[in-house]
Amino acid sequence: MKSSATSTHCGLVLLGVAAIGFYGVSAVRVAGQTPAISFTRTVYPIFEAAQCRGCHADDGVASGTRLHFPDAHAGPDEIDAFGITLAALVNRTEPSRSLLILKPTNRERHTGGVRIQPGSYEEEALANWVQYLSALPESAVAAARDRLASAATASASTQLLRRLTHSQYNNTVRDLLGDYSRPADRFPPEDFVNGFKNQVRTQGMPPLLAEAYGAAAEKLALNAFRAGDVNGLVPCKAASARDAKCRDQFVQTFGLRAFRRPLTDAEVRRYSTLFGTQAGKTGQFLDGARIVVEAMLQSPKFLFHAEGSRLRADGASASAEATARLAEAREPSGERRRSASQARVDLDYEIASRLSYFLWDTMPDRRLFEAAANGELRSPDGIERVARAILAQPPARQAVDEFFAQWLRFDRVLGSVKDRRHYPEFTPELAAMMVQETRMLLDNLVWTDGNFMEAFTADYSFLNSDLANLYGVPAPPGEFELVRFPAAAHRAGLLGHGSFLASNAGPVETSPTARGIFIREQLLCQHVPNPPPGVNTQVPEPTAERPLARRQRMQAHVENPTCASCHRLMDPIGFGLENYDAVGKWRDQEVIEFDVPGPRGRPTTKTVSLPIDGKGEIAGLTNSAFSEPRSIGRLLADSRSCQECVVRQVFRFAFGRVETPADREAVKSVSAAFRESGFKFKELLIALVRAPQFLEGTTQ
Amino acid sequence: MPLTRRRFLRNMSMTSAAIRVGLPPLAAMFNMNGTAYAATAKTAQAIPSRFLFWFNGNGIPERYWIPRAFGTDYELTPCLAPLESLKNDIHVISGIDNPNARVTAPGNTHHKSMSALVSGTPYTGRGAGGASIDQVIAGAMGGESRFRSLQVGVCQESHGENIHRNLSWAGYDRALPPEMIPQNLFDRLFGVRDQSWVGRKKSVLDAVREDLGDLQPSLGQADRHRLDEHLTSVRELERAIASLPSDYGKNVKEPEDVADLTDYPRIAKIQSDLVVHAMASGQTRVASYMLTKCQSLVRLPWLGYTRLRHHDYTHTNAESPEGQRTMRDICRWHVEEFAYLLAKMKSVQEGDGTLLDHSCVVFAHEHAEANPHKDNGLALIVAGHAGGLKTGMHSKMRHTIGDLYLTIAEEVFKLPLEKGFPTAEKKISGIV
Repeated sequence: MKSSATSTHCGLVLLGVAAIGFYGVSAVRVAGQTPAISFTRTVYPIFEAAQCRGCHADDGVASGTRLHFPDAHAGPDEIDAFGITLAALVNRTEPSRSLLILKPTNRERHTGGVRIQPGSYEEEALANWVQYLSALPESAVAAARDRLASAATASASTQLLRRLTHSQYNNTVRDLLGDYSRPADRFPPEDFVNGFKNQVRTQGMPPLLAEAYGAAAEKLALNAFRAGDVNGLVPCKAASARDAKCRDQFVQTFGLRAFRRPLTDAEVRRYSTLFGTQAGKTGQFLDGARIVVEAMLQSPKFLFHAEGSRLRADGASASAEATARLAEAREPSGERRRSASQARVDLDYEIASRLSYFLWDTMPDRRLFEAAANGELRSPDGIERVARAILAQPPARQAVDEFFAQWLRFDRVLGSVKDRRHYPEFTPELAAMMVQETRMLLDNLVWTDGNFMEAFTADYSFLNSDLANLYGVPAPPGEFELVRFPAAAHRAGLLGHGSFLASNAGPVETSPTARGIFIREQLLCQHVPNPPPGVNTQVPEPTAERPLARRQRMQAHVENPTCASCHRLMDPIGFGLENYDAVGKWRDQEVIEFDVPGPRGRPTTKTVSLPIDGKGEIAGLTNSAFSEPRSIGRLLADSRSCQECVVRQVFRFAFGRVETPADREAVKSVSAAFRESGFKFKELLIALVRAPQFLEGTTQ
Repeated sequence: MPLTRRRFLRNMSMTSAAIRVGLPPLAAMFNMNGTAYAATAKTAQAIPSRFLFWFNGNGIPERYWIPRAFGTDYELTPCLAPLESLKNDIHVISGIDNPNARVTAPGNTHHKSMSALVSGTPYTGRGAGGASIDQVIAGAMGGESRFRSLQVGVCQESHGENIHRNLSWAGYDRALPPEMIPQNLFDRLFGVRDQSWVGRKKSVLDAVREDLGDLQPSLGQADRHRLDEHLTSVRELERAIASLPSDYGKNVKEPEDVADLTDYPRIAKIQSDLVVHAMASGQTRVASYMLTKCQSLVRLPWLGYTRLRHHDYTHTNAESPEGQRTMRDICRWHVEEFAYLLAKMKSVQEGDGTLLDHSCVVFAHEHAEANPHKDNGLALIVAGHAGGLKTGMHSKMRHTIGDLYLTIAEEVFKLPLEKGFPTAEKKISGIV
């Protein structure tokens, strides 16, 4: 199967080359726009076989370069357009000096090494494509760029409904019903996708979850009225079980808060009927209220909130007013008919929900509903004013905390295991303290309007005596107080925190690769390709024959070219952190253990101390060699890639998806605003809610 | 109203006192003729075949797991020893390939193997690329049982990603999460409800369904698809409500509270009991059982292994004799729990045979040898006698995982798969 695919592939290349040979360059030059070689059938498969996409994707290690491959599921049109946009990497006057040829053959230094063998058929085919591109008019290239961008936009933005996350569900029922029981803690747990638990693409509604929502709704509704209307959910005094006026009033006021917008007439009728039937059956007014609560808590209108106006799903104009007009023009008559102003009102309330779930992790409060009702959310300036007020309220901390927990994967240090013989101090309590330390550093930077990039350089932290002990710095008098590191502490920012160092290390030994991957993926937003299939990824253990430090034992990663092309992107970062052991303690020497034959042939354990070579490098970043772990934080803090990555991570969390080429401008402008503010995290959040994606939904 | 969760919650965080699993002897659940409730309810009909898909995370130590000899005259290996009394009810199958685990895709070898193992399709970067075999069978089977399929799980610890935590997939990126908590599972299956509860629940779901209808026309395709899924779930809820088992449930006692939610050997047995009850009472014909998660990080104190987590053990001194023995003990525990389930199925009389006689149970790991993440030469167990399954032997089959599933669907369950199954090229002879 595999071999036949390869031979077909070679055959195509040969055909392509032969064609060029016969009709060749002159045909291309004369026709100008008729390639003699097919990009889709010949050149693109060569790139795929060379695995260029592994790094040159939007979230790849080489995302900083000018080459971005389209999505793996891209259609032929998109691939075709992509092939033409490669003209940007072609030297028109001297095609043979084009980056598109020089880089993959490593004739000009390529971080990914040799991907296409110099002198091969593959190179020849590529050279022919380059030749074609060099003669292409700029207008054709521009048109292809547009085609590519619109293909990406169309595929990105069709999903607008977001299900409440479990944490949003818990917070919402608390604020809606005064119920503190956190029912979602017993729902089927949420899974990580794209590094976060709130990604739209996989937020399904399987039967088990629908059932869990049903059971929770039943219990919440029962508890809400068990002791009468203790939370004041009914806004009127019912004269009897059949008091229709009070009934409708309840349906409208509770419905507005549950669905986070005013109910339509049809909805009021639906829920009033449900109410009336039940109250009539039992003769109890509150039984009617209870069944309405139970039903609304299972409605998609409660469980989902809209990311972008529901009425804009077919790609209507971006302007909200135009949207409203459009809605009116094509709205069918009948039950669901809505006026233009009604659509505008819906959009106002949607934006209120979006703001509140993003910045508070819960439903809007009374003040925010009023802002929606008063039309305060119709412009970026209006949204900004309201967002600033939201950020000044305490619930904003729970939302930002949730972002940090998922971005930095605190769950991993909390679940990580260390060998007790080597690290007796590492307990679940210590792991929890490590998380607390990181939270406090980040929270402090956010809420005191500090420079957020100090997260990577801070020469202080928030410690208790256990952590101070671990880090070898003076303990503060109280719990989690600010401690300034002495100059000799070799520690700065969160890359010196146990939460990072321990969760990216094995039970006994450190893992330079895992630390490198974390920095690439979480802090530089560069996805590192996974190891090719069938490779044994285990680093050899030290033995009597090879009593080597971990760094030396990982040499295979550099010597074997298959491993080296990726590992040179990860390991050297982690090597620079080798002075921190697997729980984050500083060490000058690495202690290795191995078995040697002992008396009576029984093996005994031998211990050897080896000096640590702490030199490191972030490949791809200019002047990034370092020999002291504190410098890596400085390098990151100063790097545009890292600064932009913070923005991209917040974007993914905020919109529940990975950014696409269509979002590039927005990410750029939010990054610029973040930088101009002196890296104030709150300003990042504000810039993001001002982005068109926030106001208008996910499409431009 | 469910009476069960309340007590469970109240006691959840209390003592670690000994836990008694209060299930009655199975005989109590059958009528005087010794035939199961499900069978008597439809006396005229043949007893239906059931499918169960069992999964354990990480790979195996092949030398302690795969029998040396082939055919009927083979010796059970240390890992398979717990199946001694069930040797004639199982078919050990080795040599199975999982080719789509090797497709270039985002994700590590665990992610990729898992997606390809359950669905035959490459990992999407987020989840499985298609429906898992249990869902394909459930879909082709149709039928009127109360639950179209059940998903249960036991051990929770994993890296937390979608593909790690789910065994059953309804389709591309659509996970069906397992129920991990015995009390919740009991409540779903046998919770006490009364007629007024059913009536109220129905009118609530009517309102939900109307709300779903309001949203549908105004949405884009992807969202409509999601709401369709919601609607399907609501319909399944309605079906579950409409067909409460009227007699059987009265005889199944609620499991005692499990105070320690990491007491997995105990939870595994309760989950097995409940799945067997669900199948015996005709509430479902298809189930998946996820003992541990993909790339499982479970700790195993009951085996005396407290130093590391399961996945750590598979890569720490894994090739040394000591490392191999550790994995032997862990994988034997998987088989022990599996043997418990099979024995339970075998103890349920149905017509002239047992529940196991009418079932096909597939037991799988995501890898063959664990340390190198081997994705060819997988070793599986096919147990039960549904559709005339051959048992009592070990066979090496140079086939893909898709071939095996296709054979099971078409030969055992007589369900022609119109589109075949991903990676399936031809059916395997020697299964039935």
